[in-house]
This record gives sequence, C-alpha cells and structure tokens, in this order.
Amino acid sequence: MQNQLTHPDLDLTMLNQAVDRAIRAIPPAWPLASSVAVNPFLGQVDEGLTQLAARFERIAGASPTMPRHWYAAQIAKGDITDNDLIDALANAQMAGRPNDIGVLKTAAQTARPQINAVPTIADLAARVSGIDWPGLITERFGAWAAGYFDEGQALWAAPRAYGAYAAWRAVATHDLTPEIIGLAGFANHVAAAPEKATEALGQAAKVLALPPAAWQTYFHQLLNRQGGWAQYARYQLWQAELAGRTDHTLHDFLAIQLIWESALFARYGQQIAADWQDAKAIHASPLIISTDHAIDAILQEAAERGAQRRLALTLAAPAIGARDSRPAMQAAFCIDVRSEIFRRALESIQPSIQTLGFAGFFGLTAAHRRFASDVIEHRLPVLLNPGLNSVAGGPEQADADHSARYKARAARAWGRFKLAAVSSFAFVEATGPVYIAKLLHDALGMTKNKIPDDPMPRLDPAIDLQTRINMAESVLRAMSLTSNFARLVILAGHGANVVNNPHASALHCGACGGYSGEVNARLLATLLNDRQVRDGLSARGIIIPTDTLFIAGLHDTTTDQLTLFDQDCPLADHDADVNSAKLWLASAARITRAERALRLPHSGNEQSVVQRSRNWAEVRPEWALAGCQAFIAAPRLRTSGKSLEGRAFLHDYDWMQDKNFSVLELIMTAPVIVASWISLQYYGSTVMPDHFGGGNKLIHNVVGGMGVVEGNGGVMRAGLPWQSVHDGEKFIHQPLRLSVCIEAPREAMGEILQRHDQVRALFDNGWLHLFALDQSGHMAWRYAGNLQWTAVDLPELAQAPLSKAV
Amino acid sequence: MPTNPALFELLPLLAPLVLILAAIFSFLAKGPRPSLIPQLSEASALTSLGVALIATGSLMASGPYDSQTLGGSGIGLSVRLDAVSAVMFLLVAFIGWVVVRYTATYLDGEPRHGAFTGWLCLTLAAVILLVVSGNLFQLVLAWIATSLFLHRLLLFYPERVAAQRAAAKKFVTARVADLALIAASISLALAYNTTNIADISAAARLGDGGMLAIMAAALLAFAAVLKSAQFPTHGWLTEVMETPTPVSALLHAGVINAGGFLLIRFADVMVLAPGVLAVLVMVGGASALFGGLVMLTQPAVKTSLAWSTLAQMGFMILECGLALFPLALLHIVAHSLYKAHSFLSSGGAVEVVSANRRPGPVAIPNARSVARAFLLALAIYISVSLGFAFADKSPQAIALGAILIFGVAYMLAQGLADAAPRALTQRTVIFALASSISYFTLQVLAVWATQGALPVTPPPGPLQWGLIVLAVISFAMVAIVQAMFPLWAYHPAASGLRVHLSNGFYANAIFDRLLGGWRLSKQS
Repeated sequence: MQNQLTHPDLDLTMLNQAVDRAIRAIPPAWPLASSVAVNPFLGQVDEGLTQLAARFERIAGASPTMPRHWYAAQIAKGDITDNDLIDALANAQMAGRPNDIGVLKTAAQTARPQINAVPTIADLAARVSGIDWPGLITERFGAWAAGYFDEGQALWAAPRAYGAYAAWRAVATHDLTPEIIGLAGFANHVAAAPEKATEALGQAAKVLALPPAAWQTYFHQLLNRQGGWAQYARYQLWQAELAGRTDHTLHDFLAIQLIWESALFARYGQQIAADWQDAKAIHASPLIISTDHAIDAILQEAAERGAQRRLALTLAAPAIGARDSRPAMQAAFCIDVRSEIFRRALESIQPSIQTLGFAGFFGLTAAHRRFASDVIEHRLPVLLNPGLNSVAGGPEQADADHSARYKARAARAWGRFKLAAVSSFAFVEATGPVYIAKLLHDALGMTKNKIPDDPMPRLDPAIDLQTRINMAESVLRAMSLTSNFARLVILAGHGANVVNNPHASALHCGACGGYSGEVNARLLATLLNDRQVRDGLSARGIIIPTDTLFIAGLHDTTTDQLTLFDQDCPLADHDADVNSAKLWLASAARITRAERALRLPHSGNEQSVVQRSRNWAEVRPEWALAGCQAFIAAPRLRTSGKSLEGRAFLHDYDWMQDKNFSVLELIMTAPVIVASWISLQYYGSTVMPDHFGGGNKLIHNVVGGMGVVEGNGGVMRAGLPWQSVHDGEKFIHQPLRLSVCIEAPREAMGEILQRHDQVRALFDNGWLHLFALDQSGHMAWRYAGNLQWTAVDLPELAQAPLSKAV
Repeated sequence: MPTNPALFELLPLLAPLVLILAAIFSFLAKGPRPSLIPQLSEASALTSLGVALIATGSLMASGPYDSQTLGGSGIGLSVRLDAVSAVMFLLVAFIGWVVVRYTATYLDGEPRHGAFTGWLCLTLAAVILLVVSGNLFQLVLAWIATSLFLHRLLLFYPERVAAQRAAAKKFVTARVADLALIAASISLALAYNTTNIADISAAARLGDGGMLAIMAAALLAFAAVLKSAQFPTHGWLTEVMETPTPVSALLHAGVINAGGFLLIRFADVMVLAPGVLAVLVMVGGASALFGGLVMLTQPAVKTSLAWSTLAQMGFMILECGLALFPLALLHIVAHSLYKAHSFLSSGGAVEVVSANRRPGPVAIPNARSVARAFLLALAIYISVSLGFAFADKSPQAIALGAILIFGVAYMLAQGLADAAPRALTQRTVIFALASSISYFTLQVLAVWATQGALPVTPPPGPLQWGLIVLAVISFAMVAIVQAMFPLWAYHPAASGLRVHLSNGFYANAIFDRLLGGWRLSKQS
C-alpha cells in the first residue's frame, strides 16, 4: 500500500497543477440567500467560442450556442442580414472557417450533428453492466453533498469538521446503498483509500494509468458532472482566496469522483479496457475545432452584429434636449437594465428631472448587520472585499433590538418544535386548523408586500472625517455628478419583492451582493448630507449647494414602487420637493408597470403586475435582467428619450471631466465585469440549460437553505431557472454577448485594456463587444481585438429599414 | 328543504361530476396557455367546495343519511353522509380548491398545462367519490381510480428517470393495496351479506361478522398500512418530488389519507379485531418514530416534509390502533392542512433558513433543563387535563395525551436552557400552554363531532395495556434523546447511525434493487 502511495513515476507537482486548472475551470455559485450572477465560462475567458465549443463537446457533449434553427429563424426574419453574416465570417478565426455565407445559410437550415461527450469509466461500466452507475454516483454524491453544505435545514446536521474528503469517507464507509445496488465492497474500497485527498488523487491517476496530457479535460469533466455542488465548492475557494486563505473542498470533490471511477474500474476494468484506452487517448489529444464549431460561432456573432446594428440605429437617432438650468430633481439609479424603463418613464413625466446611472452599491462596500441580526452581509460586488462596517440602528434602538431578537428566537424555537421528532405530532394536533387561515391567506394573495424598514444604518465603527470626505468625493466623481445639483437628489437602490421564491435574491441587486440596495443608498445619503463632509468637498472643487438634500430610496423592481427613506433626515424646507417627488415617482411607476405588463405572460393591466408579486404560485414574478444586450457608459443626454426596452445597462460617464481616465478605468474593470457576468450567466443558462441553468422551477426542492435540486435530489442546480429565460412559448432572453459602448477616446480605452489582461481577454476573445461612441453618441468605432479598432459604417446603418429598430 | 329528498341526498355526487367535466375540457385544451382552463378548473373546484359546505350544513341540520344507490343490486353510486365523510369531503374539497388555484398560475407556460389540470381534477374527483362512498363497490372503484390518476401526475415528466423509479415503487405498492382492499370488500360483503357501508357498520357495532369480519379487518389494515406508506413500504412516498409541487400538496394532504380514512370508515369492523389493532399500534408507532428521526437528517425541504408525512401517518395509524378514531380523524384533518401549506410554500425555505441564523446560536439545554422541562410539561398536562374532565377519558386517550405532552416538553426545554434569556423562557412557556390548551380543545371537539358516527374506545385488555406502556416509554425516550440532541448527535459513534437513518435504513435501495430501478432503460 505504502509503495503505491509514493508514485515514483508520477510527477505530483504536475498533477497538482492539472487539478488546480480543472478546479479553476469551474465557475463559482453563490448560495441562494445572497446569490449573484456569475459568468459560467469564467475559467475559459482566455479562449474563444470555438475553442470553448470543442472543450464542452469533449467533456459534456453540449454546445455553447443555440440550436441552428434559432439562427435560421433570425435569418428568415431579416434580423440577421447577409451583411451581418459576411462581417461575422470575415472576423472569424481561420480554424474550421467555411468559405462563404452560402455554407452558413445551409448549415443554419440543418440540425447540428449529434455530439457526445467522451465516456467516463462510470459511463463505460453502465454500458457493460446495464446498471445506471453515473446516475447512482450523482444521486449518492448529491445526498451526501446536500447534507455537507446544509446551512440549517436539517435539525441533525451532517458533520463537516475535518473537510469534505474526510466527511465523505466517514459516510461512504457506512453507506450500504452501492452494495445493495450491485457494487459489492465499495465501502471497503473507500476505507482502503488514502486518508488524504491529494494522495487519493495520485493513487487514482496511477491506478487508472492516466497520461498527464489527459488529466485536464478528464478532471474538468468529472467536476462538471457534479454541477452546482462543484460550483458551490468553487465559491468556497473564491471566498477563501478573497480573504487571503485557501480551500480544498473542490480538491476533495475530485478525489471522491476518482474513487468512484477507480472502484468501478476495479470491478469492470477487464470488460472496458479498450474503450477506456480510447477515452484516455481523446483526453490526451489537443482540442480540435471543427467546421461545425466555427459555423456555430459565426452564426452567433452574426446574431450579435444584427442586434448591434439595431442598437446603433437607436443611438443614431437625434438626441433630445440639452441641459443647462438646474434640474427639478435628480435621481440616481443602479445601472441595472430594469432601471432604464423607470428612468425613461420618470423623465417623460417631467423633462427637467435628471436621472443618473451608477453601480447600485453606490461605491460603498458595506459589511452590514441587519437589525437584530448577528449575520454579517456583504452588500458589495462579490469581486471586492468590504471596506466599511455598518449596522442597522444605534444604541437608542437597543431595547427594540433585544425584543426583536427574543421574538425571532421564540419563532425559531416554535419552528424546531414543528420539525422535531415526537413534538411534531403535538404541533400538528394543536395547530392544524390554523392552517385553514394560512391557506386562505396565501391562496388569495393577501400577503402584504414587505418593504425593508430597518432603522437607519450607521457606520460601526465610525470613520474619520477625512476618509469620509475621500469616499464622498470618489463616489461623486465616479458618478460624474460634481456640479449642478438639484434641490432634491434621490439615491435609489433596488430590490425585488416576491413570495415563496427560492431565487428571490437573484432578483435583488447584484452589485450589492444579492441583497436589496437600500442600505448602501441610505449610507451614502447620510454621508452626503453631512455638513462637514460637504465643507471638505467644496475644498476639493465639488460644491453642493446648502439647499440640496440627498434622500435614499428603494426601487422595488417587481412592483416598481419607489419607497423614499425620507425619515432618515430632517426635511427642513424640502417638504414640497419630497411631495412632488412622490407624485412623480408614483406616475413613473404606473407607466413602467404598463410597459412591463406587455412583456410578462398572463398579465393584464399595470395593477396585475403588483398582484403577481404577492402570488405564491407565480414562477415569473418579473423578468429581472432577461434581455440584457448592451452596456452604455456616456452622459444620459446621449440616450434620453430613446427606448432601450429595458435591455441596456446605463452608466453615467463624462470623459471630459475624467482626469487621468481613472473613472474610465474603474468602469471598465468593475461595472463592465459585473455586467459581463450577468450577460454571460443569462447566455449560459439559455444555451446550456442542463449545465449552467437552474432547472425547472416546478420541481425545485430547496436543499440546505442554500441551493435547489430538481425533484428528489441529485445534482444541485446553479444558474437561472428555465422559467427565468423562457416564457413557455419563446425565449425572453436572446443569448447575445454584451455590447459595451463607451463614450471615451479609443486610446484611453486601449491603454486600460493593456493594463488589465483579464479585461482585455474578455474583449479579445469575444465574450464582450466593445464600441467607442463619438461625441454625438453614435457607435463610431468597433474594437476588433488585439488593441485594434475599425470604423463602423454609420451611413450604411441609416439605410437599414427603420422597422427593425430596437 | 328541497322538494325531493332522495335526489338532494345525491347532491355530493355533483362535486366529482363538475370536476370530471372540467377535466374533460382540460384534456381537450392544448398548448402552454390554454384559455379559460384556469378559470374553469377553479370554478369546478369551488363548486365542489360549495357542495361540501351544503352537505355539511344538511348534516348539521338533519343528521346523517345513506342515499339510494344509482345502479342496481348494491353496485352503483351512493352517498353515505355522516361526520366522517362530511369532514373528509370538506377537507378534500378545500385543499382541492387551493391546489387547483395554485396550479392555474404555477403551470402557466407549461406545454402540458391542460393535461396536468385534467389529471389533477380527475384525482380530486376520485378522492371525493371515495370519501362519500355509500357502498363497497364505489369505495373500491374510487380507491383504484385515485391511484391510477395520481400515477399519471407522478409521471408528468415521463422522461425523468428518478420519477420512473419512484412511480414504479408506488405502482407496485398500490396494486398490492388494491388487491387487499378488494379481498377485504369481498370478505365484508360475505360477512354481512350487503355492500352498504352503513349497514355493515351498524351490524359490526352489534358484534356481528364472525371470522370473516376479522379477516376483513386484517385486510383493511394491510391496505391502510400500504397506502399510508408505513415502514418498510414507505419507499414510494419519500421519492415523489419529481413532479410539480401541487401534486405533492395533493398527495400529502389528500390522497395519502385514504388508508386512514379506510380504518376510520370501518372503525366498527376494526374494533372487532383487537389483534389487528395491536399490530397497527406497533406498525404505526414504529413508523412514527422512524419517520420522525429520519426527517431530522434530511437537508432538502420537500424530502423532509415527505418523511414527516410518513411519521404523521404513523401517528394516525397508532391512534387507530388504540381505537381513538375521532383523534385519528382530527389528526388527518390537521395534518393535511399543515402539509398542504408546507409543500405549497416550500419555496420559502431559503428565507426560513437564513432567518433562523440571524438571531445568533441556539441555546442548548443540558440534562437538568430537560428534566425540568419534562416536569413542567407534566404539570401543564395535569392542570390542563383537569379542566377537560380527565377522569372520563380512556387510558388510551390519557396515554396519547402524555405522548403529545412530551413534544411540549421539547419546546419548554429550549426555553429553559441555561443560555436562554428570560424573555425567551416566558415565550416558550406561553407557546407550550397555548398549544396544550389548543389540542385538548380540538380533541374534545373531535370526539363531540363524531359522537355516534364512531365507536367508543373499548377498555384495554392486557395486550393493549402492554402496548400502551411500550408506546409511552418509547416516545418518552425519543423525546428525551431529541431534547438533548446536540449533546450527543455529533459524537463520532452517532455518525454511523446518522448515515443509516438518513438513508431510511435502505428500504428504498432494496425495493429499487428488486424492481430493477437502477437498470438502464432500453432506449438509452
């Protein structure tokens, strides 16, 4: 045994590197209590779509593009023109590229040839034994992982003290299921496996005679089969690394999967030897880009060019109005595409209202404790570490805090009474009839919409004045809001309002870490209303008039109600301003709901949009960011009055004010990245729903309070559920990679790309498209990769039929 | 009052009729958004709820009845309306309406929305036919139909392998239960020379029936045990989350009750066979404790609810075994309402779990607090019982009360933990008092409402005494173990037990093996 473990002919360093690469090929998945969108191809941004297609064909038998008929339908409708095809073809990589667009059009008419993943040992064992080993492994692994990651569903939690591998071994050496189904001796096999995951990996590599070249895609394949479980383990690594630590969970997961493979190999090795040799040979060979991969990628690019053409038309329309006088009100929203509809509605009511777009955490990276809570919530983009601590309420609310805690703890004791053995019988007999009322209440949708109403958040510990002035200055400059302040400035975070929805947090603000955004907005409003901070700001050239008042708000994206936290600060002489603001906001809400109702299934008038937020059976309470296509960083005047249909992230940016282009750099490295994660999550959940989609909401079963599985168990499903991208008849999300349009000098953008390899990879490899807007907001230049730009042929755009406009 | 009482007595049959009509229209509707189907199905469910209310009203006004039979020579449709059927009818119609209404929104956009609604309405119709049955023929027919319609719902996503695996287990169990019920019905018909359920009950109450009746009781018990998913035939119940949530709600709140309903419906026959009842006490009691313990280990919300159903059905069967039929009926009603709501709102589990984490760690009681909690619970039991005419109660009822009070002790133990603040202690004591008073009140109500419809609990013999003591002791043990749970559950020695428990002692794996559940299907 000991001899086997030393592996004289195995390069352990190389093995560990391959394992690490496989681990980093898996995207992280956040727990559902605070979930954010993640780019499912995070580990593959260094390659393009064709390479990715070849990779996923090998490991998963899946394609990262839509079925061919989807493109054919767009060609037939004229959404993809011949020019789009020609341009996409010209821009394509050489490998596998067809000669002309005739080939593309024919290919679009025919289904993509069936593709199959390389079989694992479990697959091969299933073929020769007739027993569904891959299914059993998935089921057993899921049953264990659900317990291991449980955040508090089971009263008797599974042990997890010594790491995943040890915890799994303790379970697998007792579990009789594999033996009963037909793998005699599995528990012993596990008991005999090395005590450390690293050694188990080495042993498996040796026993399975894996050539080093085969490691990476084979390991990636095994981890990919664990679906959301592996992604959640990857999240643990992400969090650990953000905090400067490391985590071995995913390591352990690979070892577990390899122990299954070696156990099945020990049992069926003889029968599958030849097929296993073939499989290893494929894993060891380089990825080959086929003509089909190239065709799919070109068709996808053509679809994106079609959408860009329509966006260019919209942006080329003449801009409305100019601004010189003091606005009637200013309202800053999150760049979230849902804000675009509301902002347009608000401006339409009163053109002298100015709206702005900025990342919804308002630049304050708060580690926040809710009222009467011990849990620290990271209300900030998941790429960052918290920079300040805040808590709801102060010493004056201490009594209320205590009594709220007792209430919550008593409710928790009651919940345990409901679930525990023996007491659950008493619970049922004592309280069953109460559920008549509960059933009536919920069936009739009588639940009130809950609006976050914690006491005002405050910084805890407090931050010194100089730092606060710095924070205020950088936020205002990043918003391009440094002059011409209105009397009333609303800072609106956003959150959703849904019931009985495991994915509720996915509808909240991604920039606030999957929480609603009111805390950050309230913190910023307090900061900017502070006299001392204002004095400090005026010394730095930002003069906020004394009659300017900042008020935080919360845009409820499900009902479009915008709540103002006007009790946070003395209104003084702003009563009238606040009152008219409330009227404007209420009208804007009605207009927004009416526009959204057209897109939501089985909805009637705008009031029905409010009702659906309370319906416990509603699986499509709102469309969230479905449909997102573009990111525009420019002054609002370039886009105001033009309908972007809730498909664009709008970030205010005025490059003329941006010394050193530091704000531009911030935008390209933070909000653009967040937007790309969102766009690519929608993309992945649409084109590869079995791998990167959240599955069918109708059969979701919440596990451990942190994820969902479909039905009885098995793979945890991360990503967006099917119902979030499809309305039952058609896709609501068009899977198009995001077009980033920035009004800034090309040289400045090029320099920033040069400094940030990861950002540049996104653009160079086609995960994002980049356009430079000219000073009239037209899409003038297209980034062609490799720091090159090509001029966009605007006159030609103007000739395109107007009916095709976005 | 209506002009034709004979026709009025058949009114409850209108409920399944409108549901069947709604089902027909639903089957005809194609596409992901069939127009009017949501409205039509909900209207039919509301109509049956209205019929159930009228029937209950007539029961309260003019007493139980037994309608004429549509059909001949004891074979056909007839209605037996008494406290048992009226309560079940109301329950099923109410939950049916909630589930149909939920479905209308939940299934919106689903390609087979119409078919789903159709099978749902048919299943509901069959359950209503079952609970209002006046004769054995209708009872058997509705029993089998319920299971077959439900089978179609369980396989709503026929391509799901796990759904096939669960449905296969369910199918086998259900067919065995069908055979048992058919055999029981034949025995009853032969023993009492009639298929009329009211006549059978009346004769059985006089002590008639002989050996055939005892055989029938055994077969009924067997069918009920299978239908209530009692250990070790529970496999099909804990794996049927493979289909949209409304099916789980209907299954766990409506269909699963068929077994218990059977025992209560034929309570007069059952009390003729004390031996059979004794077996029910053991099977039910064991399943209640087993299911309750397994549930503790389940990390998935719906799976945990399914194990809870198994336990609750076990407790109900235990109550039947102790001949506490009114309490069993109360348990069915209370559990159904609770479980329907729990399934339909199971999407809130993420929020529930995170809310539980916010107020900080749970205070863990030590042995002394647990002992104090049990003494306090006992004091509550005695004082509350004095108010509810303790002395009149059967020993079975007193024992059951004791078992329930162990649960209350768990609540108190949480509040009495050393780390628990005073305010928490006060609240848990209030909760404990309120739930004790509530369930004794409900028990009194249940006994009062079913007076005459259900037999009086017979005085226990030596066997019954033995079982009562055994039951009280085992529930007490589990309750103590549960209360002191975190102190021992994470000991390494307990981890093996946890693995076996969380897998339900492998009953499912063995069943799957027997049925070839993990064989690859032919086409793949």
